[in-house]
Amino acid sequence: MVHDTDTVISVKGLTKSYGNFQAVQGIDFEVRRGEVLALLGPNGAGKTTTVEILEGFHHRDGGEVTVLGRDPSHRDRGLRAKIGIVLQECAVDPFLTVTEAMHQRAGIYPAPRPVGEVVELVGLEAKQGAKIKTLSGGQQRRLDLGLALIGNPELIFLDEPTTGFDPSARRESWDLVRGLCDEGRTVVLTTHYMDEAQALADLVTVIANGKVVASGTPDNLGGRDAGVTTVRFTLPSGVGLDDLPIPGGCFPRVQQRAVEFSLPDATVFLHDLTGWAVARGERLEHLTVQRPSLEDVYLALTDDCVGDLERLNGLVAVEEAVRLHPSARGSSDGDRTDPSA
Amino acid sequence: MNDLLVARDQVRYEQKIYWRNPMAAVFTFMFPVIFLLVIGTGAGSGKIQDSTLRYNQYLVLAMLVFGLVSACYINLGITLCIRRDSGVLKRMRGTPMSMLSYIAGIVGSVIINVALITILVVSIGMVGFNLHFPYHSAAAAITILIGVLTFSALGLAVTAIVPNGEAAPAVINGTAFPIVFISGVFYPINNSSILAKIADFFPVRHLVKGLVGAFETGPGSGFQTGDILIMLLWAAAAFAFALWKFRWEPRRR
Repeated sequence: MVHDTDTVISVKGLTKSYGNFQAVQGIDFEVRRGEVLALLGPNGAGKTTTVEILEGFHHRDGGEVTVLGRDPSHRDRGLRAKIGIVLQECAVDPFLTVTEAMHQRAGIYPAPRPVGEVVELVGLEAKQGAKIKTLSGGQQRRLDLGLALIGNPELIFLDEPTTGFDPSARRESWDLVRGLCDEGRTVVLTTHYMDEAQALADLVTVIANGKVVASGTPDNLGGRDAGVTTVRFTLPSGVGLDDLPIPGGCFPRVQQRAVEFSLPDATVFLHDLTGWAVARGERLEHLTVQRPSLEDVYLALTDDCVGDLERLNGLVAVEEAVRLHPSARGSSDGDRTDPSA
Repeated sequence: MNDLLVARDQVRYEQKIYWRNPMAAVFTFMFPVIFLLVIGTGAGSGKIQDSTLRYNQYLVLAMLVFGLVSACYINLGITLCIRRDSGVLKRMRGTPMSMLSYIAGIVGSVIINVALITILVVSIGMVGFNLHFPYHSAAAAITILIGVLTFSALGLAVTAIVPNGEAAPAVINGTAFPIVFISGVFYPINNSSILAKIADFFPVRHLVKGLVGAFETGPGSGFQTGDILIMLLWAAAAFAFALWKFRWEPRRR
């Protein structure tokens, strides 16, 4: 079998059990040079097991795995010199200073980056001489990231790298990761933050119960691009549902005066709706048009209830709307008290 | 990358870490010195059965053994358990560093600590208790080195039976102290007693006897071959057990 030289990670039919517990039950994916793969999934889904097999910490039970063209289970040092690892816990001796820890790690690698450069890259210049135990949680995570980069790795594993960061520190880390990819490095990221996956990932693979339940780009994962669009607004006073230009077969959900339409394609409806409002001189307060967020898709994918995903795809939107709000069917009596009716 | 250079660098970092976290150092260095000064001065220089050494001179060697066991078995074992729990060992294993270099660096640092304890305690003995400069100095040095290897190997091995970092001091001190007590570290124990027979199974008493033999004046090389052999057996068994059972990662859950 010929490997594409651009393929950095290739996983086929990976399995791993701990006793009777099947942690990984046949996972496949591929990552190419310069890409960011985000592995998403609930705790215990098999993400960490998968990543730790790629990192060479654990042996697999079955399947084919290559990392930079080699089998990570052989634990050869040449391979380890080309990968950088950030684990979930900050694991550095607390009594060393930032620069000492960097120099210690740099001394292990055949071609390390200059310590000063990496300290600057992770924004710890002001803390160079400080003992690690005096750093804040976020600073320790940045040190962790720096230690993973000091060996000038081609491939970097980041396990929940921005947990505990303040919003601006997260943005800075995202810029840093994007910079790594621009340099042609490859990143495998596990995260619980959907905005992080959305911001960084070229590919998203969702793992649940040891299996890949979906993979794609952040924008098309789980049929997200083909899913329903939701239009919401507040019904203007003195207007009933009957007055709205509702397309045939579409039933709104109503709560108080908030109206919600779910449609496979909202283009025509929005045109009709806003045209109608302008013609009548009404304002559509709180008007929003929303596609399912990555988080919506993720929750639907990892929820055992299949119905959620179907709903997202608009397959059962109509039935459900009717079931939940029978009063909404083609009439406005749910929200209007007109004594003359 | 040259593994020896990496190990040498690791010795330097280990020394920094050790001296910046004074609790372990205080226990390992201060305890033998204080005990030696208090008990040695109080108990005096009575003769010991079948030996050219006086009681307080014997105590110097016994406290050296205590310091050595503390630096190798207790400090090393607890440090490794804590590093295993915090993920430091796992992190190092994810780098291209040879794990043998890493362990060699840690043991190298322990050898420096034992050399310092030896100089400190023997100097006190020579100044305060008329202890002779080791009469058989080669035998003394080699016996101490074999002691370091034996108790470092035991320190590596014991981590395999310690479930987590919190349990480490209890398990490691709990296995060390009873054996140190029955091995005659605080007072000489007659060779024919039952305690001595039990203690003879373990390596601590053999280290004491080996050092006593090297410091006693008299003919011969001063090497206590039988005692050294038993220590080496313990070292080999402990090292084999560590190779088989050593864990780089904390136990799941």
